[in-house]
Amino acid sequence: MDTLSRISLAGVGKTWEGRRGAVEALRGIDLAVGAGEFVSVVGPSGCGKSTLLSLVAGFATPSTGSVRVDGQDVTGPSIERGVMFQDYALFPWRTVAENIAFGPQARGVPRRERRDIAGRLIALVGLDGFEDRYPNELSGGMRQRCALARMLANDPAVWLMDEPLAALDPQTRIVMQDELLRIWGDERAAAQRRSVLFVTHGIDEAVHLADRVVVLARRPGRVRAVIDIDLPRPRAPHRNAPEAARLVAEIWALIRDEAVDAIREET
Amino acid sequence: MRADRLAAIASTLVLLALWQAAVWFADAQGRAPAPLGIVAATASHLADGSLRAALGDSFLRVAKGFVIAMAIGLPLGTAMGMVPALARAVAPFLDGLRAIAPIAWIPIAVLWLGVRGDAAVFIVTYAAVLPLALQAFQAVRLIDRRLIQASQALGGGWALTLWAVILPGSIPVIITAMRVAMGFAWGAIVAAELAVGTKIGPGQGSQGIGQMMIETLYVKRDVDTLAMCMLCVGLVSLTIDAGARVLGRKMAPWTH
Amino acid sequence: MREGLLPRILPPVGFAGIVLGAWYAVARQLANKELLPPPWSVGVALVDLLGNGDMVEDIVASLGHLGLGYGIGAGVGLGLAVFCARFPAFETAVDPLIEILRPIGAIAWIPFAILIFGIGGKVPVFLIAYGASFPIFVATLAGMRGVDRALLMAGQALGASRRMLVTHVVFPAALPHVLAGARLSLGVAWSAMVAAELTGSDSGLGWRLFWYQEFFRMDRVMAVIVMIGVLGVLADLALRGVRHAMVGWSPEGHDAR
Repeated sequence: MDTLSRISLAGVGKTWEGRRGAVEALRGIDLAVGAGEFVSVVGPSGCGKSTLLSLVAGFATPSTGSVRVDGQDVTGPSIERGVMFQDYALFPWRTVAENIAFGPQARGVPRRERRDIAGRLIALVGLDGFEDRYPNELSGGMRQRCALARMLANDPAVWLMDEPLAALDPQTRIVMQDELLRIWGDERAAAQRRSVLFVTHGIDEAVHLADRVVVLARRPGRVRAVIDIDLPRPRAPHRNAPEAARLVAEIWALIRDEAVDAIREET
Repeated sequence: MRADRLAAIASTLVLLALWQAAVWFADAQGRAPAPLGIVAATASHLADGSLRAALGDSFLRVAKGFVIAMAIGLPLGTAMGMVPALARAVAPFLDGLRAIAPIAWIPIAVLWLGVRGDAAVFIVTYAAVLPLALQAFQAVRLIDRRLIQASQALGGGWALTLWAVILPGSIPVIITAMRVAMGFAWGAIVAAELAVGTKIGPGQGSQGIGQMMIETLYVKRDVDTLAMCMLCVGLVSLTIDAGARVLGRKMAPWTH
Repeated sequence: MREGLLPRILPPVGFAGIVLGAWYAVARQLANKELLPPPWSVGVALVDLLGNGDMVEDIVASLGHLGLGYGIGAGVGLGLAVFCARFPAFETAVDPLIEILRPIGAIAWIPFAILIFGIGGKVPVFLIAYGASFPIFVATLAGMRGVDRALLMAGQALGASRRMLVTHVVFPAALPHVLAGARLSLGVAWSAMVAAELTGSDSGLGWRLFWYQEFFRMDRVMAVIVMIGVLGVLADLALRGVRHAMVGWSPEGHDAR
């Protein structure tokens, strides 16, 4: 495990104790995310993708092994690790600007400065003119932008994203993928970027965004393969490159059988 | 969960013991109700049949009033749901009536129907008919339009759509409405019997549980019997609620 | 969406006309004029009573009962709910008591309240407080318990302290439930007020109903009933206004009637 990695998981297992007995969600996960690296996690339903993310976020503690960020054991949530939730979890009683200002407010930033931070981020994610709307007055794409801005307001060193684009329609999703890359710093040097752990259902999405794709197997979740994505950055022009299609096919071949099993078990 | 149960039972027993002890130590038997007194009162009223007669009388009135309320409220609400103009005409009127506490009609009801019990039936009907009509209206109005379109696209005529789509689709809401309305009806019968009893004095009004309470209050001044009556009122409410839930599961199995 | 004024106004006004017409026709046919006073005489009685101040006095008395009782009841319900949410052990202790008391409606307490307080203003205040406390208690507790876990996690991830989670996540998330409970409470309180005044008080609109009935002034009885309805509608509208202003962000905040 290299010393440059910001996030490192070593031998991580997680067993959820439920009413109907224990469920082993993850087993023996070794994983590292380097500084400025974008890592996607894909796998069939029930492979423990979301569990993995909540361990790093600090919402749960591993049953075995260790989860470290910058060499420190994760003991709980921290503003160093920004989280973007699957259904955004925007506060419905706060406007766009107020949602974005929540993190700075929690840090004790004075009101004026909070407004400046929110204003800057609203411009960054392209929500100008919607500052005073409530979440339920926004489209899915705009909510997604708002959730991203809210995460960024604490300027976290690590971005943890749990299927953040899953609820969008296909066209909006494509637009938002490239927006996300732009905001992350796709065009800049790696040293200026944040570390991202990005959980997704979409293999093409994982390939398009990430430097590496971690493929999980299910029941319990284990690392099946780690695929390096050597497509040049910025990525936007390479969305339909033959190399990208080949990688998608390769990953799909790894997952397909289990995905079929997963569907059969669910129905 | 089992620990919760135990804690609940323990806490109930402790409360009862404290209550009984407080009454003993304050030497307040007869002036404040106590658990053992309530048990004794219940035993004697069960033995002479008076409790059963009072509850039976009240319940019969509730049943009468409720059946009338269903017969008026459900068709009215369904019609309002299907004919928007009717809803627009009647809904504000029903909303206004709802703001008048049912018991406020008691002087009029007594004047029209007499004190022997029909006045109380009227109050029950009034209390139950408004939630039934308004909820049935909502239930029909909120049925997914696409289900009705699907029925029409499959060749369902007006009658089949009403029978096979609109009615079953509104049953879950209507069952809930019945539960609420039955609760209102039971509250209203007690209020009506109390009011009638207060008005005309003991011994000549309706023979329901409310009348029993008024007689206990003004004639016998027996606090244990009074507390027994109150617990009976609560018990009947609980039974109504549980019964309606079972009915709901039976009649709308697809919602569970 | 917006329709013309006429199609919106015409049906209710037309229906009101039919009701008044039927009322008039029945009142005219009756041999005993005491049984049902015609609409206009109720109107005259209403104006009369408001003019000579009698009804104003009753309204003030009733609203006094309501304000005091509702304030106490809502305060107790709200406080207990917050306390139960904060200290689960406390809830375990009081839950059986609440479960026993809740199905015993306020009305069933009337004889007991008369026994304790005697005929007077305390009876309606007690009953209103008792009746109003339960719906708001149940709704508040459910609201605080039912806060979306994802929102709590989001708050934590953004660095909120425990205190900030309560004041900035749990409370606002519970507010729509609290206000819905407050509205239910008001409905219960309103019925309890009339019933208690009717049977155990010496003032207020409910008490007046029997007072006027003693003199067979059915026009005045009807006038009081109308006033009870009008005030009930106004009180409900006021609470809806509060809800609209305070939880405009919530889809449930905008009333789907």
